[in-house]
Amino acid sequence: MKQILLLPILGYRKFISPAFAPRCKYYPSCSTYAELSVREFGVKGVAMALWRVARCNPFSHGGVDYPSQKSISVIRERQMS
Amino acid sequence: MDAILNPLYTAVSWVLVTFHDLLAFTNNKDLQWSVGIIALVILIRIILIPLFVKQIKSQRALTALAPHMKEIQKKYKDDRQKQSEEMMKLYREHKTNPLASCFPILAQAPIFFALFWVLNSISQNQGRGLMKGEYLISAREANFFGAPLSGTFLGSSDATTKIVTVILIIFMSATTFTTQRQLMVKGMPKMDSSNNIMLQQQKVMLYLFPVIFAVTGVNFPIGVLIYWSTTNLWTWGQQYYVIKRNPTPGSPAYEELQKKRAAKDGAGENPNQTDGTTIVEEQQKGQRKQPKKKKKKR
Repeated sequence: MKQILLLPILGYRKFISPAFAPRCKYYPSCSTYAELSVREFGVKGVAMALWRVARCNPFSHGGVDYPSQKSISVIRERQMS
Repeated sequence: MDAILNPLYTAVSWVLVTFHDLLAFTNNKDLQWSVGIIALVILIRIILIPLFVKQIKSQRALTALAPHMKEIQKKYKDDRQKQSEEMMKLYREHKTNPLASCFPILAQAPIFFALFWVLNSISQNQGRGLMKGEYLISAREANFFGAPLSGTFLGSSDATTKIVTVILIIFMSATTFTTQRQLMVKGMPKMDSSNNIMLQQQKVMLYLFPVIFAVTGVNFPIGVLIYWSTTNLWTWGQQYYVIKRNPTPGSPAYEELQKKRAAKDGAGENPNQTDGTTIVEEQQKGQRKQPKKKKKKR
């Protein structure tokens, strides 16, 4: 199930996102956030991700926003490798 | 689903029909409908201009933050995660975020799909939104350089339609390619693109996109291809303006502009210039003249 949910997110990151300039107002970006939240929370993660994209609008000031404490270290580990 | 889409069909067909009526004096069906499609793009982009201006203002405000950014980059130069976090915090503190968010793209996508379906239903002789009755008959007969607006490369055996679609697809691919390339070579803030996997992917996509367009474009009606080409042209122009007049601090275009301004002010160091260039130099030395080195250094 999670794999199916992850497919469009990873597809977006690989094929669609590179076409545009970096544009997310948050760190980590919405697509990273979506990937991590779906991996950790499944269907609930999808709702979290949608809410994140909604918050990332022209009137937002952005900021640092992780789906969970755990995901902070997930990103850290990815950078190490 | 129709409950969401119907208002969109109505909105899109309203623009088309209104421009058709406005241009009734020309008595030229081809012109009346083609201009409507181009006007649709221009209208949407004009509505989005305030957002564009807002973004440029935030980008200008960044120049003032350059010393802070430099400090952050120095302090966390071995920790990209921390560096990005601190950078975002800085933007938030000063209530100036230079990034656009996905809203401008998300806002345009539904219009694009609605136009696709409206044009598709023209070719199937089906009413959609306000596109019905006499309008439908008239739009069915409208041509663009001799090919019907609702004609597709695959759906037609007519040679003119094939030629017009191919030319439009080539134009679409070429404008996407130049826009993306312009951004990569000149407009990217070097400090933000911190990982080389992404840069590599971007490079691959630069060449893959024209191929994707060629494959998908054969299914698109000529009207959609006109819409897409106009959008690309507008995006390119807007980006050209930003890169020339308001480049992101730290990008090659920014340095060019600073140099030009310094030259205009006569010889002598411009304090702004030192700020802008040191950010870049500290991150990767000798990178300024040859953007190609980017991928090796990162």
